[in-house]
Amino acid sequence: MKMELIIRNGFVFDPINGVKGEKMDIAVRDGKIVERVNERKALEIDASGMLVMPGGVDIHCHIAGSEVNAGRLLRPEDHFKYSERKTATTRSGSGHSVPSTFTTGYRYSRMGYTTIMNPAMPPLMAKHTHKELNDTPMVDKGSFPLLGDWWFVLEHLSNGRIEECARYVAWLMTSTKGYAVKIVNPGGVEAWGFGHNVHSLDEQVPNFNITPREIIRGLCKVNKLLNLPHTIHVHTNNLGKPGNYTTTLETMKCVEDLAADDKPVIHITHCQFSAFKGSDWKTLRSGAEEIARYVNNHSHVTLDMGQVVFTDTTTMTADAPFQYTLHELTGSKWTNQDVETETSVGIVPFRYRRKSYVHAMQWSIGLELALLIKDPWKIFLTTDHPNAGPFTAYPRIISWLMSRRAREATMKKINRRAQSKSLLPSITRELDFYEIAVMTRAGQAKALGLKDKGHLGVGADADIAVYKINPEELDPSRDYKIVRKAFRRAAYTVKGGEIVARNGEILKHVKGATLWLKVKTSQQTKVNEDLKRRFRDYWTVEYENYPVSENSLDISHPINVEAKI
Amino acid sequence: MRTVKHVTCPVCGCLCDDLELTIKDEKVVKVKNGCALCKAKFLGYSKHRVLKPLVRKNGRFFEVSYEEAVSRAAEILTEANYPLLYGWSMTSCEAVSAGIELAEEIGGVIDTTSTLCHGPSTLGIQDVGISSATLGQVRHRADLIVYWGSNPLIAHPRHMERYTIFRKGRFQKEKRKLIVVDVRKTETAETADIFLQIKPNMDYEVLQALRALIRDQELDVDEVAGIPTERLEEIADTMVECRFGALFFGSGLTMTRGKNRNIDAVLSLVSDLNKLTKFIAMPMRGHFNVTGADMILTWQTGYPYAVDFSLGYPRYNPGETSAVDILLREESDAALVVASDPVASLPRKAAEHLAENPLIVVDPHMSATARMADVVLPSTFVGIESGGTAYRMDHVPLPLKKIVEPPEGILSDEEILRIILSEVKRKKAEQMENP
Amino acid sequence: MMNLYPTKKFRFPITAECISPDVFQDKKIEEIRRLTVWEGNKQRILGELFKVKESESETKMVVINIHGDVSRVRRIGAYMTSGQIVIYGNAGMHLGEEMEGGEIIVRGNVGCWAGSMMKGGKIEIYGNAGNYLGAPYRGVNKGMRGGEIVVHGNVGNEAGAYMRRGVIKVYGNAGQFAGLRMQNGTIYVQKDCEARVGACMKDGKIIVSGFLESVLPTFTIEGLKEKVKIENDETAEGPFYLFLGDTAEDGKGKLYVSKTKNPHLNRYEKLL
Ligand code: SF4
Ligand SMILES: [Zn+2]
Repeated sequence: MKMELIIRNGFVFDPINGVKGEKMDIAVRDGKIVERVNERKALEIDASGMLVMPGGVDIHCHIAGSEVNAGRLLRPEDHFKYSERKTATTRSGSGHSVPSTFTTGYRYSRMGYTTIMNPAMPPLMAKHTHKELNDTPMVDKGSFPLLGDWWFVLEHLSNGRIEECARYVAWLMTSTKGYAVKIVNPGGVEAWGFGHNVHSLDEQVPNFNITPREIIRGLCKVNKLLNLPHTIHVHTNNLGKPGNYTTTLETMKCVEDLAADDKPVIHITHCQFSAFKGSDWKTLRSGAEEIARYVNNHSHVTLDMGQVVFTDTTTMTADAPFQYTLHELTGSKWTNQDVETETSVGIVPFRYRRKSYVHAMQWSIGLELALLIKDPWKIFLTTDHPNAGPFTAYPRIISWLMSRRAREATMKKINRRAQSKSLLPSITRELDFYEIAVMTRAGQAKALGLKDKGHLGVGADADIAVYKINPEELDPSRDYKIVRKAFRRAAYTVKGGEIVARNGEILKHVKGATLWLKVKTSQQTKVNEDLKRRFRDYWTVEYENYPVSENSLDISHPINVEAKI
Repeated sequence: MRTVKHVTCPVCGCLCDDLELTIKDEKVVKVKNGCALCKAKFLGYSKHRVLKPLVRKNGRFFEVSYEEAVSRAAEILTEANYPLLYGWSMTSCEAVSAGIELAEEIGGVIDTTSTLCHGPSTLGIQDVGISSATLGQVRHRADLIVYWGSNPLIAHPRHMERYTIFRKGRFQKEKRKLIVVDVRKTETAETADIFLQIKPNMDYEVLQALRALIRDQELDVDEVAGIPTERLEEIADTMVECRFGALFFGSGLTMTRGKNRNIDAVLSLVSDLNKLTKFIAMPMRGHFNVTGADMILTWQTGYPYAVDFSLGYPRYNPGETSAVDILLREESDAALVVASDPVASLPRKAAEHLAENPLIVVDPHMSATARMADVVLPSTFVGIESGGTAYRMDHVPLPLKKIVEPPEGILSDEEILRIILSEVKRKKAEQMENP
Repeated sequence: MMNLYPTKKFRFPITAECISPDVFQDKKIEEIRRLTVWEGNKQRILGELFKVKESESETKMVVINIHGDVSRVRRIGAYMTSGQIVIYGNAGMHLGEEMEGGEIIVRGNVGCWAGSMMKGGKIEIYGNAGNYLGAPYRGVNKGMRGGEIVVHGNVGNEAGAYMRRGVIKVYGNAGQFAGLRMQNGTIYVQKDCEARVGACMKDGKIIVSGFLESVLPTFTIEGLKEKVKIENDETAEGPFYLFLGDTAEDGKGKLYVSKTKNPHLNRYEKLL
């Protein structure tokens, strides 16, 4: 039996259970939150004068898998000045924007994060992704297989065979130990197979009788048929191009009719990159207002920020045609890896500069989105790590969201023209700790459909973060630097009921589970026979060698899903 | 008699996973689908086995228990000031993972055989990146195949059949065009549509010339490396005009004059070609899991080979932290060799230094290196007698299978490394208590 | 003035970036002896590996003299911004890496990556230098960004790779790929030079006064020059062929090659 633990007297922010900073105790036994524990025996954390929140949840961060590793390999210059020494409890590692796996886990844990979602898994490379996730300690984790350009999806959807498509997706989700349906520049990635791209929702995908709109709608229907806990997770067409906010609006609109009961049916990821107005880089403007207006008036969408921070980083997405454009734009080195029958990936090192008009606008757009969208349950804090900056920048972003002064301090240092075009000076909103708790854990867990995460109700996983901030004494608007510092190093991080980090020091190396969906459909066998027949035509590996076996996951945490088919 | 299907071949970087093996009395008696190299391995691997751990005392080998051999190995490694852990390309990812932890624990340098074959490819990638793809992408889309300094018919016998020239693909319209560039007319060159025989050690000049030509630059010279400029212009046109080109390069490019700069040039050429068409490049990795060793080192440490833990954190700088250079400078004072036979492949001086210092070998065979060793730990054949994961040359991970039982009592590389690791930890804890 | 004497012949790599005037500054000799260094995988103090002695000096500048063979000692003078290091013997890799100011003088040979990514100051080597003189770390595309390196002997491959500013003068021979991917700055080789000089250069100036094995096919002849300026008061006497390149990167770097020492290049003259 694991130890009992009680966290006393903290100011608890637990949005899912409506707790908004009340002083209370949190009791833990066997890795779960419980009603009460034996107070004399339980280990005690004195959290008086501190914030207590559910452990952080990250809905979108590229921390593991073939593309991340290709990024690591590409960039020794990213690592050699960012080394972490081996200690009695921790493994060594290196890396700034693409850290090695052990280091990634420790850095998340130091910030009080306990669950993360790795949003881009080429299905053929799923074994690789899971091996890396096995080596990413301290956090529970899941991965989203890239399905928007998979030939099976394109073919079945173009023939209107939604149910059959759903069966294949169910098979693939379970075989690759995936967690959600990821769609990246639908159609464009397939077109990239011959060096092309698609440019609107209604352009025909070369060689396939389908359009991006049909892919998005089709997979949205599939997602609903399968009852998956998260919505489709979409990286829009035209990402990173001036004027693309209209594509984003259209993308959200195109599934409007598929929504019911005020439930989200689509997640637009790293929305900052898809909220550009203007016709070229010179005339770039923010499309945040238009997007926020739409989101404020609809309930079928969630978003995450993809907030830019000014630093050297590594961009990596399955949107390989976009990455190629970035390579041409910057002249930086470029890695591309197309994956047969499924997807692709591109990687380009990148530095966001304060003095660049475009980069400064991007910085502003991310924050505008977060502040103009009224409901924090609809937009989450991410940097699309490492695309807009490494996840270690989250505390800085929290301080921008909570403090106008923090925003102004940065605003003073950015490109002049961007200062005059930014909408930020007109925005007075400053988020409070409750809203931060929603955007960094509760909202993300809810959007992911993670029932035991992101809250501190009885029965929840005992993943808890304690921060050295006294919300009664501290004014985050003024003392934003203290806020930043406190979120950088949690006073305590509790994972699965154990104290794993204290004041930034890792006390215990724990593995963390891999979350995946075991999707049950009524007719599974038929899929397999058809699959086997076509497998050799589509891939260059044997059908039997394709799936990820459950015992290859160090700690497997299957989530049963009953499909409607 | 029984048959096992969908077996992954533990020989070369093609990692064919469609073998069908017939087993009789725990021996492989028939191999279906495999090439000659594959058959030779499955049918002949069990010769020259070591079946007992050996420890050298007073110049002679004595058979001992695993326990004693491991204890001696751990002693050597804990005492060393700059130990080298070398090999890793012919074993499973799981064994490499244990090896990395061991290297970190003892403050050693871990390096793979990449250092002798495609290390320069990695350096080239780190300078300019690589436009690449999985082999299936080539199969479905390529209409132009280039082999440069590589002779797949001999070294990767099923590469052309499974992935490039002879395999049918979805978007393939006609027979694919094959260009071979080499310094001699190889077996593969015999089958080429275009064979470009260039003067030895001048690949760099040819590659740069092609790069300039696809940019429509004029050259001042009439020939490059023995090839008339006009001919090069034709080649450049062929490359530009294809729909999807795939260029594969081997040690004929990585290990000849210019080394990583040849790769820098070839990758730059392919990258440049993407302005005009679709083109990808891929190193023809030799040993079956050298790619896997690169991958796992990269995700655990940030660096793909030549990783030095002597300061307690990973550092990487081939030339400084690479095995051959360390041995040539005579810096290491102990070595652990796993799944490799460096005495047979390293420069003589480097091999001598390796043998002069305490040497531990983990290998199923009595290899040339094992014969020089102080401790020999016999292991299973990975992919035959024990399972795991390996990576194909295009980074696709595939399962290795345990097909037959190993000889009684013989442990896998991974198991051996794990017990050395725990013995090292035990010894270090002991030293902490009574220094 | 601090004097360091190796206490033994080093067998393992020694990492000692603490041997720098910036670190020694304002430290008592006892503190200097206690500075951390690494011998292989063992942490040591400087005083274990070197006898440290103080001697009189006239200047206020921090001067470190190293007497003996330190060819296995790496990173001497890394990041230094001022002062002087004089090495009476051979020195190891990464000498003066990323240095910003001050001076290093070596009365012997140095290993690879001397002056790597240097930003300012001066390194003068009386013997030979290894590969990657002034060149950057793996994957970095910024080489030397300022300062000066003078080598009286020969240098290995890739001297001045990725150079952005500054001057490298080699009074001996140079290996392959001198000035690889350079963007600016000046490289002067007084004697002979192996092939592939200026490969992928975008801009900047390379002068070869001796025999050059071959010019890359991606350089075009531009003219003949009587003499070329190396820096302020130093010029190289010609005549020189002037080539522009590397056209493989649409570069416009200038490569000057001695006419008299390179009769094999006179076929280019017909293009002038
Ligand atoms: S080509 Fe290579 S992997 Fe395939 S069967 Fe032959 S040796 Fe084995
Ligand atoms: Zn992303």
